Amino acid sequence: MTKNFLEVENVTFVAGGNNKVNNVSFSIEKEGDVVCLLGPSGIGKTTILRTIAGLEKVKKGTIRLKNKIISSEKKHTEPELRNISLSFQDNSLFPHYTVEKNIYLGAEKKLNGKKKIDDKNLIKILDLEKILDKYPHQISSGEAQRASLARSILFQPDLLLLDEPLSNVDQSFKEEIQVQLKKLLKKLKITTIIVTHDSYEAFYLGNKCGIILDGQLKQFDEPYNVYHFPNSVEVVNFLNRGILIPAKVTGENSLENKDLGTIKGNFIKHYPKGSDVQLLLQPEDLEHDDKSNLKLEVVDRKFRGTSFIYTLRTLSKMLIPVFVHSHHIHQHEVDEKFGIKRPIYIEHIVCF
Amino acid sequence: MRKINFWYISSFLISFVVLIPIATVSFSFFEETSNYYQILKETFLIEYIFNSVSLLVGVLLLTFIFGTGSAYLVSFYNFPGSNFFKWALILSFAVPPYIYAYSLFAFFDNYGTAYSILKNLFGDGNYNKIIPKFDGMLGAILSLSFSLFAYVYILARASFLYQSQNLIDLGKNLGFSKSKSFINIILPSARPAIVAGLSLVAMETLAEFGAVDFFSINTLTTGIYNSWITFDDLAFANRLSFFLLLFIFALFILENISRKQARYHSNMSGGFKTKEKYNLSMGKGIAAFLFCFIIFFLSFIFPFGQMLYWTILYSENILNSETVDLIYNTLYLVFLSCLTLIILSFISNYGMRISKSKPLNILNTLSISGYAIPGVILAIAYITFIAWFDENIIKVYDFPSIKKIFFGSIIGLVIVYFIRFYSLACNGIKSGYEKINVSVDESAYLLGYSKAKTFMNIHIPYLRNSVLFVGILISLEIIRELPITLILRPFNFETLATTAYIYASEDLLEAAAVPSLFLILIASIFILISSRYILRD
Repeated sequence: MTKNFLEVENVTFVAGGNNKVNNVSFSIEKEGDVVCLLGPSGIGKTTILRTIAGLEKVKKGTIRLKNKIISSEKKHTEPELRNISLSFQDNSLFPHYTVEKNIYLGAEKKLNGKKKIDDKNLIKILDLEKILDKYPHQISSGEAQRASLARSILFQPDLLLLDEPLSNVDQSFKEEIQVQLKKLLKKLKITTIIVTHDSYEAFYLGNKCGIILDGQLKQFDEPYNVYHFPNSVEVVNFLNRGILIPAKVTGENSLENKDLGTIKGNFIKHYPKGSDVQLLLQPEDLEHDDKSNLKLEVVDRKFRGTSFIYTLRTLSKMLIPVFVHSHHIHQHEVDEKFGIKRPIYIEHIVCF
Repeated sequence: MRKINFWYISSFLISFVVLIPIATVSFSFFEETSNYYQILKETFLIEYIFNSVSLLVGVLLLTFIFGTGSAYLVSFYNFPGSNFFKWALILSFAVPPYIYAYSLFAFFDNYGTAYSILKNLFGDGNYNKIIPKFDGMLGAILSLSFSLFAYVYILARASFLYQSQNLIDLGKNLGFSKSKSFINIILPSARPAIVAGLSLVAMETLAEFGAVDFFSINTLTTGIYNSWITFDDLAFANRLSFFLLLFIFALFILENISRKQARYHSNMSGGFKTKEKYNLSMGKGIAAFLFCFIIFFLSFIFPFGQMLYWTILYSENILNSETVDLIYNTLYLVFLSCLTLIILSFISNYGMRISKSKPLNILNTLSISGYAIPGVILAIAYITFIAWFDENIIKVYDFPSIKKIFFGSIIGLVIVYFIRFYSLACNGIKSGYEKINVSVDESAYLLGYSKAKTFMNIHIPYLRNSVLFVGILISLEIIRELPITLILRPFNFETLATTAYIYASEDLLEAAAVPSLFLILIASIFILISSRYILRD
């Protein structure tokens, strides 16, 4: 018997009769933890949430909540009996009730009893005070999403499932809500699974992150590790954080690439000397140096506020991204030469 | 979440029961018939088909002109009375074709109302020679057209309203005149809606019994009725029904295809903007007013006025015809049938919604084709089925006969009304349901609501407006319904419609005026209550 709060064990998730995600295993160790699931659209993230909520049945495997089986091939606890709340991505407010009635629906008994949540404060945090008297068709999709979020939290579930909870919220307001949401979930110790396609949101909110790709849970780890130590080429490509370049291992702490020369750093995994590998090169791994004799041609420059991302072409026609702080003293135009500091040093060397 | 539960089984059974008459007609096609079939095949069958097609072509042409023309004028132009005509034109629904037929005949008949008017105005004269006669095929075409054009009007108007303003602006930008815009842009965009309206008109026309019977035109529908009533040949009635059904199913498919395209047409990018209505110049404004007024006058004021005139002229008939009883009987049937239809349609829709079962959906789609089947066919198919069931199942097990319960009883009437109007109720509630996202149900489950509680606390309160609207539409249909009531009503039980028909068929048109007038009045009240839904901008 496991002691994890939620245990998903070898589950095959199915939607509309088709396998969406196969053989998934992950767990949430303790109450109050937040897990984020990342992946491209249509990959099956929502199906995972719907299955955990009991709206879909599992084809194979077992889901346990607080050590009780809620879904397996033989057993299926109906959604209304699970005490799991799901906040849908689309507007799922009851159209004939006001926002206020919607928010409190299902939560009345719990708020009358042992009140754990300051409902007024929650409404204030989510900026819902002005729309309480309105009906769902009179509010924006972002407001509907926040109202739906409030309803799910006020319900005080054992497990809160949020499907792209802030996808329709204005960018200016989004970060503020993320901060407040994180504080709130921590304070109330509400165990939560959040599905999102925004990696920064996932890295910020989650204690752990799962990457769903090609019908599989590719990696399930802490955000820092997912970012710095991706465990597969697919995860690298999905996070779109760099490129893979060919290199040869030349020592305990070094590699050699024919365009960039020697690269030093710490391997996260051992490779024998002389091995041919694919090295993950991320934009922040390279440093600009006008005096360097390693000069590459600029093919593109993107302004990203705090930084520029230069795309450089090597002699063997590889395209490499490089970050440069936007306060850097001068800028390089397309077709100009761009110096890279040598020797190149990478803190965590990730190879495949 | 897909499992066999109460909702699934109920939904399945409801759809199954509705399908029985269609199956009965299909099976009866292969049964032996009497000589009547041979006689008919050699003599009248061609005439039946020719008359049905002639009637259809004439009615479709006129309803297209009346419906599309008036919808175009009230949707795009401001002219004297345009806001009034917007809703007044749908009042024609209150006049069933058979009552229109009585009015038309009586007005233009020798020494009829037209004669009396001319005599009062100009003194004695041989006016019968100059008064045109609208009877026979022409009378039937006019009666049906004025009574049914509102189907085209409502759907065409809705389509015009939801046409993208961008399309119309584009026409202006390309230098199109208003008439060129209408022919090249507006009309083609509204085509699916207009075809859908015309398909409904076609189905009603083929199913019409009262008006064509009054004008003594032999069509397939009257042929079915006669083969059963006059020649007592149920099998042949079913065989004729089968032919008519094939024809109607072709129209049904056409209508469905058009409806799907209508969805596509109405989702033009550019979205819905309030249309700019053009102010017509004095001359054109008067012409538009006259066009709409003539249609309104002929479709509603004329039959209503004729019935009112007779009611006043022969006011003793108000007491003779036991009007209160007739109104009570009519409303009693309306109430019972509405209640049954709405409750069962609700259950059926909810069953389909939560089970997400494809076989159930297919069964339901087949069962809603019931509205395409003429009342005469349904009534006869119902009798055939009950007789077969009684003979082959009930008697075999020595149970007492069920014929008395299901023939000539209120139960029988309500069952056949249910089958006939199930599609109306089911589709009406379904369209309300389609506006509720499935995630709303799922949110309710996750908030601890059971399926029954979700149904009672979430769906029913939300759908109450749709239910009211559906209820009114069904009431309207049942008030006007004639052949089913005529065939299946209990002994000595009459409604406004059957009484009007019986008097008219006995050449007592003046006596038919009172029930006809009350029928129009009650139907008008229902139409006025529902007009805000029908004409929702």
